[in-house]
Amino acid sequence: MSNHTNNNTLSLSTFACAWCGLTVSAYAADGAPRNHCPSCLHSRHVLDHVEGGPSECEGRMSPIAIAVLRTGDWRVIHRCVRCDELTSNPVCTDDNQLILMRMAVRPLAQPPFPLEAFGTL
Amino acid sequence: MSRNNNNRRQRRPQRHKDVLHTQGGHRASDFRCVSCRLDVSLDAPGTAHRNHCPNCLASLHVDRKIPGDRDADCRGRMEALGMSVRNDGEWLIIHQCATCGELSANRIAGDDNPLALVRLVLRPLADPRTAGRALLAL
Repeated sequence: MSNHTNNNTLSLSTFACAWCGLTVSAYAADGAPRNHCPSCLHSRHVLDHVEGGPSECEGRMSPIAIAVLRTGDWRVIHRCVRCDELTSNPVCTDDNQLILMRMAVRPLAQPPFPLEAFGTL
Repeated sequence: MSRNNNNRRQRRPQRHKDVLHTQGGHRASDFRCVSCRLDVSLDAPGTAHRNHCPNCLASLHVDRKIPGDRDADCRGRMEALGMSVRNDGEWLIIHQCATCGELSANRIAGDDNPLALVRLVLRPLADPRTAGRALLAL
């Protein structure tokens, strides 16, 4: 995470969300650097996660999934709408819990097989 | 049911695969799972790009962008990390490579273990701390 300091986009104290336009402080209340909008959870592809350093894509990254680490912490999986790159980022405490919960239960809304059979297990 | 069929018809066609998995020979059309050692046939119902074991959902990091291109030289084991949904309701498994940390997404196949899939979906809700905090904030 040391390359945050030499990246111009993230060293500013605020950034504008690429999706909802909200002006967001670059650091959360606990001092952790933010990389997605706490309101709509969209992000921007400014860091190259394969090679490190800044990315040339700068596309909008939309949240597609919630992943859980072994420690129990939630992470948001983002996908870049320009180059289809996937990244995973930790959830901030002030992130929109409605959108987080909606993403977590979204697969259960449209199951590819009937879930009734699991009641007999 | 008719709504699902309409969605399925409008969907983008599956990406064409012009790279073969292997060059023939013994067991050219199946692979062995790195995690549970199950012998898996490459013919999967519902998809042409089977890349994970239908029993334990583990995969192998061999492709980069295009399914079947065999362009990645990592060859690490990829574990299922989470589940994502497309707009038309298709489930996608998010894999993470245990060696290099790369993420990838792949559609579920028709013969994937439903219990493993639902356990993966319910993983965020299983932990009472985070899920409880999210529910309290709503």
